Amino acid sequence: MDFEPQYTPEQEEFRQEVKAWMKDNVPPGIVHPADPIDLTEEQYQLRRDFGRRLGAKGWLWATAETEYGGGGLDVEHAIVLEEEAEAAGLTIPPFYDSGGRLGGASIVVWGSDEQKKFFLPPIFKGEVRTWQLLSEPEAGSDLANVKSTAVKDGDDYIINGQKVFVGSSLGCDYMWTLTVTDTEAKRHENLGWFMIPSDLPGITVQPMDLLISGGESGAGSGVKNTVFFDNVRVPAFNLIGGHNQGWKVATTHLELEHGTGGKISRNVVVDKLFDYCRTNNRRGEPISKDSDAREKLIDVHIEQEIVRLLQLRNYWMRHSGVTTTYEGPQASYLRKTLGLKMSRHILDILGPAALTFDPKLGASEGHMEAHSRAGIIAIHPGGTTDIQKVIMSRRIGIGREVREKAGALS
Amino acid sequence: MDLSLTPEQEMLKTAVRRFVQQEYPKETLLQIASPTEPTPTEPWERLTQTGWLGILIPTEYGGEGGTFTDAGVLFEELGRGPVPGPHLSSSVLAALTLLEGGTDEQKREWLPRMATGEVRMVAAVTEADYGWLEGDVRLTAKQNGNGYTLNGAKAYVYDGETATHLLCAARSEQRNEVGLVIVPANDPGIKTRHLPGFAWNLSEIAIENVSADSFQVLGGVLAGGWEALEKAEQKAIPVLCAYQVGGSQAIYELSVDYSRTRHQFGTPIGRFQRVQDQIINLLNALDAARWTAYEALWKLDIGRESADSVHLAKAVGSEGYYEACNFAHEVHAGVGSMTEYGLTLHTAASRTLYHYLGDPKFHRHRLADALGL
Repeated sequence: MDFEPQYTPEQEEFRQEVKAWMKDNVPPGIVHPADPIDLTEEQYQLRRDFGRRLGAKGWLWATAETEYGGGGLDVEHAIVLEEEAEAAGLTIPPFYDSGGRLGGASIVVWGSDEQKKFFLPPIFKGEVRTWQLLSEPEAGSDLANVKSTAVKDGDDYIINGQKVFVGSSLGCDYMWTLTVTDTEAKRHENLGWFMIPSDLPGITVQPMDLLISGGESGAGSGVKNTVFFDNVRVPAFNLIGGHNQGWKVATTHLELEHGTGGKISRNVVVDKLFDYCRTNNRRGEPISKDSDAREKLIDVHIEQEIVRLLQLRNYWMRHSGVTTTYEGPQASYLRKTLGLKMSRHILDILGPAALTFDPKLGASEGHMEAHSRAGIIAIHPGGTTDIQKVIMSRRIGIGREVREKAGALS
Repeated sequence: MDLSLTPEQEMLKTAVRRFVQQEYPKETLLQIASPTEPTPTEPWERLTQTGWLGILIPTEYGGEGGTFTDAGVLFEELGRGPVPGPHLSSSVLAALTLLEGGTDEQKREWLPRMATGEVRMVAAVTEADYGWLEGDVRLTAKQNGNGYTLNGAKAYVYDGETATHLLCAARSEQRNEVGLVIVPANDPGIKTRHLPGFAWNLSEIAIENVSADSFQVLGGVLAGGWEALEKAEQKAIPVLCAYQVGGSQAIYELSVDYSRTRHQFGTPIGRFQRVQDQIINLLNALDAARWTAYEALWKLDIGRESADSVHLAKAVGSEGYYEACNFAHEVHAGVGSMTEYGLTLHTAASRTLYHYLGDPKFHRHRLADALGL
């Protein structure tokens, strides 16, 4: 076994190249608001600009095929890129986007050649930002129960309906969504999966007022929106995977969102909590020396290590072609429950300082206050903790006659 | 990055699994665990013939010179039984202690015979005032010519009854040094008493006027013996964790099968989300224990600083096996409590191993130290 990537001399050379490039290309003045809602238009454009520069090098979606605007690089190169971006305080992509990892994966698997050539390069080059539009008022955990409709009309579809808890602040270029294409057909065989330009007439985006919206520091979404479709005319070319095939298309990105993709980066909030407790005093000594705080910090550390290892396992499984079953939703479940528990631990350790971003009386530039809220809402995006357990049960062969297979991955 | 086993490790895994199924079926394990039935000796004899007891003993001392991950694979499969010791206590913990602190002569004397199972050496460390720190050792070693005379009592000694030799932690009266002394378990001054009840292979060992010459003192002198034991523990713990993982894996499979075949209210009980919750919690405990254990084994193999991973693995592993058994009992209800069903073999093992080489609380404190908190 080997728990870390091994780099060849060629890859180490690549790291030096990336380091030097980052030095010249990371825009100066990028800030990391504790709550992504504070990301300004100007700051967002800095990030988009950096994304385009990465995209032009093939480094934004490094493992995507060059034919479609990706980097055509192997996993080790992608890891080098992620590590070097992290060292520069950024993520890849450096802004909220549902196109490259999720929607793009579905298009790669289910799109026609023509569709791939048309939709993928702008995504993988960072020229467009894409939102996913899945939930509806009547379709949360039961996503297949979407009510919005797409009715065929000549060479177009006419889309009507309402999506909730979607997108981010500061707009997007494309939206991909799931709607009913056949009101008579059976469940799971009645849906269509569309790529929709966001500037079409009839689309209204209305921000929602929420406790906080999800996402990690800097690359979070800022806000979530309600999106209304009012007789939006979309060319049939934008339907991916065929008429009534939408559920199949969705399984690809749903599986990735359930955590099967895995990841290898660190948990920024945990690092900030530890730093804060080591460098701030209470009753004359560092908080981390207080026996109660120490116990809580160890709780956080242990659970974070478990999540890290399971995400690492998933990352390895995905990239080495090992078939996954329950592993994705398992990592997702544990990550979500850790987030919620952590908000409790932070409250225990820091007291009411965990509840304010006041520069004088808050903690860690507002990051602890933001996590106190984010830990609560993080239990639902991409499927609630309960839904993750439902999926796990199907995948391990209990709860249903037929053992459920994981969705097809690229 | 590669989290798969090597082809050789896969072969070992298959071979050990087959061995455990053949030599240690449930009926045999129940017979061994029974306080009234005679313990069959053939399975252990066959285990000694496999060479597996020498897995971590270097080839120059007649062992296999395997890696820590190899040992993890072996002990995970033994843990599925759970096959009772003293395999881990002797050929892992005691052997590693000898490698850390023994003289060349001692290594040549003991290790080859431990690899063949002829010698079953068990570390007798803890006492009635239970603990795994140096300060918890009270048994006295009084200078006697070139050697020592030992007096005191060891308590809650894991695998103590099956030992041919004890690696006994003792404190010198004159210099207050804690070291290790090798004594034959059949010395007339040694009385071993099985602890009745839920404890799994624990005993009390009374030691009265037992003399040992300097050749029996690990490293020739008491000083440094405790450090050798602690270093060995750091390496033996992840192997023990793999053994606990094997136990959790076995009862996970048992619980999944049961939830699919046991019908109540006209349907398999696995259809009920309350029951699914128990099985998923069990699986989460199992996987957490598995990957923390194997990461620690990997760090040992590549010689990386591993203290934090070792403490993490034992805290998660002991807690995990304990909890996994509880979840399995929730799934099985009455059937799980029947001795003949076999689940309680694991439940008993999980409780005793929870404390062996330090309980989760102990390792959480050490983990905090390792992280510089």
